[in-house]
Amino acid sequence: MSDVLNSVSASVERLSAAARALEMTAARLEQREAAISGDVQKITAAVETNGDSLRRELELERKLALAEQEITTLMAQVSSIQSGAASHAGVRKTLPPATVQLLAKGGLDSLDRLDTGALDAALSGLGIEQRIAVKSQLLRSGALIS
Amino acid sequence: MRLEAMAMSMPEVAGHPNRVPFEGVLTVVDEASTRAPSGARGHRVILTRAAAMEALPSLLGMAIGFTPGWDGHDVRRKCGLITEADLIGKELRVQGYLYGRDFPEVVQQVEGGKPGTMGMSYELADAHVADMRADVWTVTRAMFTGAAVLLREKAAYRNTSFRLRGVQARHSLAGAGGEARQAKSMRLAAVDDFYLEQKGKEARWR
Repeated sequence: MSDVLNSVSASVERLSAAARALEMTAARLEQREAAISGDVQKITAAVETNGDSLRRELELERKLALAEQEITTLMAQVSSIQSGAASHAGVRKTLPPATVQLLAKGGLDSLDRLDTGALDAALSGLGIEQRIAVKSQLLRSGALIS
Repeated sequence: MRLEAMAMSMPEVAGHPNRVPFEGVLTVVDEASTRAPSGARGHRVILTRAAAMEALPSLLGMAIGFTPGWDGHDVRRKCGLITEADLIGKELRVQGYLYGRDFPEVVQQVEGGKPGTMGMSYELADAHVADMRADVWTVTRAMFTGAAVLLREKAAYRNTSFRLRGVQARHSLAGAGGEARQAKSMRLAAVDDFYLEQKGKEARWR
């Protein structure tokens, strides 16, 4: 008998706890609903000729125009960078092995960091015709810009 | 196309000098306003079909107002009355009459301008907005407390309209003869037509 009573008592406690939780949830939902939805005393479907609404609209339009202008400028910059990168990527940087060896002997291992002073120093041991030939190959490959 | 309608019966008074029938599109439902209406804190507004349907009875008997600049509402300048409201498709169409003798400038403005110049604007009270944080407010419940005739460019909804009924007949006759008397007789005929039609509607809706 006492087991039955204990069981019933436990069930009642669980039920009341559930009821309390439900009440709290309902209250929270009501608060959320009130925060999202709302009543407006008066709306007239005419555009305000002065006042906050018009000012806000004009401000937004001004900001939109500025943003559009910025977007256009940025798009142009991006397009310019992309076309530059594309033309750069299109450069053929292959050189004959003999030329590469000559440059390597002069201390130029990479064409990416090629500068005029370093190139002249690297080619100083060569004759004038060989220097011209190497520079021509570098120009053709795009590693050297005239 | 869905059609919902409501009308109030008016006693027929043939040749009433102060009643000039009009018709117009007050607003469109389930579509965002072209611009933010006054009182909507810069938000554009969608009036739902359900809200408009529920509010139709509140529109009947409400007044038409105007401002001297034809750019908004003036609740103290009431120049006419709405007697019928129909929800046809997305358009909330209204009919009624202007107090033509009391407000000849309103009749002149509506009659004299280019077609499509004039529009309408509703006035809502106790509007319930589903989500105040939304970019476009959705009105799910409201009551109509009036309307205004104004320049269409000043209306928050671009697709509104306002015109006098039978105005084309009056124009053509006045243009041919230019006689005020003839124009007046046509206006009275238009009024008679209006009431005959109203009478039919009254029977229909009873």
